[in-house]
Amino acid sequence: MIPWKLVLKNIRGYRKRSVVTVVLSAITTALLVFSSAIMDGSHNTMIKNAVEIYPGYMQITHRDFRDTPGYENLIFDLDSLRRSLANIPDIAAYGARFETYVLYSTEARSVGGMLTGIEPRAEKQLSRMASSLYEGEYLDDEDGAVVYIGFELAKRLKVGIGDELAFIGNGADYSMAADVVTVKGTFRTGLFDFDASAAFMNKRYLDEVMVSRNMATHVIVLPANVEDCGKIEDRINQEVGGDNVAESWFRTMASLVQAMKLDSVFGYITLGIIFIVIFFVIMIYTLLTVYARVREVGVMRAIGTTPWGIFVMLVSESVLLSLVGVLLGGLLGACVAYYFYLNPMEFAGYEEQFKQYNMVATAIPADFAPLVIARDMLIMFVLCVCSTLYPILRLNRYRPMDAIRHV
Amino acid sequence: MLQREKKSFFNAKECMKHYLLTILCLLFIFVDHCPAEEMDIDTLMQQVEEALNGKTAQMNLTMRVKTSRLERTIKMESYSVGKDKSFIKITYPRKDTGVTFLKIDNAMWQYVPRIERVIKIPASMMLQSWMGSDFTNDDLVRESSIADDYHCKLIEKGDEYLVELIPKEDAPVVWGKLLMWISKEHLIPTKVRYFDEENQPVRVLFYNEFKKFGDKMYPSKWVMENETIEKKGNQTIMEITEAVFDQPVADHYFTKRALKQFSQ
Repeated sequence: MIPWKLVLKNIRGYRKRSVVTVVLSAITTALLVFSSAIMDGSHNTMIKNAVEIYPGYMQITHRDFRDTPGYENLIFDLDSLRRSLANIPDIAAYGARFETYVLYSTEARSVGGMLTGIEPRAEKQLSRMASSLYEGEYLDDEDGAVVYIGFELAKRLKVGIGDELAFIGNGADYSMAADVVTVKGTFRTGLFDFDASAAFMNKRYLDEVMVSRNMATHVIVLPANVEDCGKIEDRINQEVGGDNVAESWFRTMASLVQAMKLDSVFGYITLGIIFIVIFFVIMIYTLLTVYARVREVGVMRAIGTTPWGIFVMLVSESVLLSLVGVLLGGLLGACVAYYFYLNPMEFAGYEEQFKQYNMVATAIPADFAPLVIARDMLIMFVLCVCSTLYPILRLNRYRPMDAIRHV
Repeated sequence: MLQREKKSFFNAKECMKHYLLTILCLLFIFVDHCPAEEMDIDTLMQQVEEALNGKTAQMNLTMRVKTSRLERTIKMESYSVGKDKSFIKITYPRKDTGVTFLKIDNAMWQYVPRIERVIKIPASMMLQSWMGSDFTNDDLVRESSIADDYHCKLIEKGDEYLVELIPKEDAPVVWGKLLMWISKEHLIPTKVRYFDEENQPVRVLFYNEFKKFGDKMYPSKWVMENETIEKKGNQTIMEITEAVFDQPVADHYFTKRALKQFSQ
């Protein structure tokens, strides 16, 4: 039985102590909620950037292609794969790519780089290539000998819109594949290495040059809901089978996911150190306030209150104060997180540092996830209550007469 | 008396002369009969390179590239002077006919009739596969600089010489180590195994079927086998169908103009 009246009376009676405890818990909770939101927000932005610029949310490749990329490990029956994908619900779009490495050449110089045949209309939904247009025009499904080239690669080759460049490489049958193409457009994703080495052509035309009809290195799939990547991956693997395999972004970009996890671990270690400090601050503060009540507890024990009754009363006070503090802090943290979710933080001038993490945007939104906020509030609540247990247990060890005589 | 002394002196001189001549002859015979075992490793490698490259060479070659997926045959003509200049023209299949390659020192150019352009192969593309084979552009350009780029160590003198080649510190070489088995009879390699920088075998080249081309014994079949896990089973076989060594080769093959001119 919890003596609520007495608990509330004590909270009101020791107003200063109550306010300080609530403020401490509230500020700590708000900080935790906001830090988590910013950390998760920056990780989500990094992953979204890395996934959406080019690789896509899901890739289907030959099962050995990832370990040994090459013409031995292509998707050899693209038409059949397309038919299978058409029967799977919850897929918003898909498109094939044929990636190869060629030597680009102009009068000025020769440069090695990646040439990818894409299905221009489908690719618009699968990656940010179309929206990264810098000059000229993006590709069209009817295009022939035209190329959409990285801004930096165009600079290296000293070509502009309408200029011609040649490329030579190996066709899928290992014959010499070469062509002269006109620059239709340039793109700029902000990722220097990508912009300095990649170019795109209409796959239908490139297939003629590369002898790669009905073949692809990748088929990129966009799920209707990107949160369902795992489920759709399983479904595709059941339907497609054979030599080809579907892999979601968390597999294809496993190293990035690992890096994010590691970064989160370091983030939580930092927060953990802060929490330990806060834990001891609350504990010491509670210890001081509880010791100020030794005589009061002595009197209560003398008139017949059991140690358990005292314990329940003091813990209830702590629970109530922590609850109020955590709720206020959670609300405050959530409001700030929501504000920065709607109005991302701008880090103008840090473009180069961001590029190291595959981030082309300098605006980082906070992640507003109610479940994560609830988790953080629960952690803080448990921490606050636990920090008061030791002082309460110590107080309860006093014998009534010693407590009454305590100065 | 004086005359007698003079005569005996001349006899002694003659004897000495004969004696010295005999020693010289024996020495000559001895050197002639144990050529490489007593020669130092640098001389051996120099002789191997000379034997492999010839002063000049004109060849017709057939290259067969075998992968797990397909098999492809390419025929070509090759003209070379020593290790510094070479010109290659593809004659088969039809799709690639007329593609020409020119190598002068460490630079390489290519002409592709379809685009009518001469393209210099940049250093960054040197490790790319040559014509889809297990040979790289780098093999064509740098393979012949063994004596310059490697520290050579003779590690076995059994039926064949086994030489270990470790790249010199500043050498522009991608391999971690080469092991070369050299025929004592022809002073030409019979097998070369290539290792990466982690000492893992990457590929092995066999020089097989020695034949007489004119006065020269030469391996007529070169087999390059890929030893990496990813490409295990891939093989490139280069067969020399005709070869003429050490005959003059016209200088006009070794100009950039020749790339287009002889492409026809």
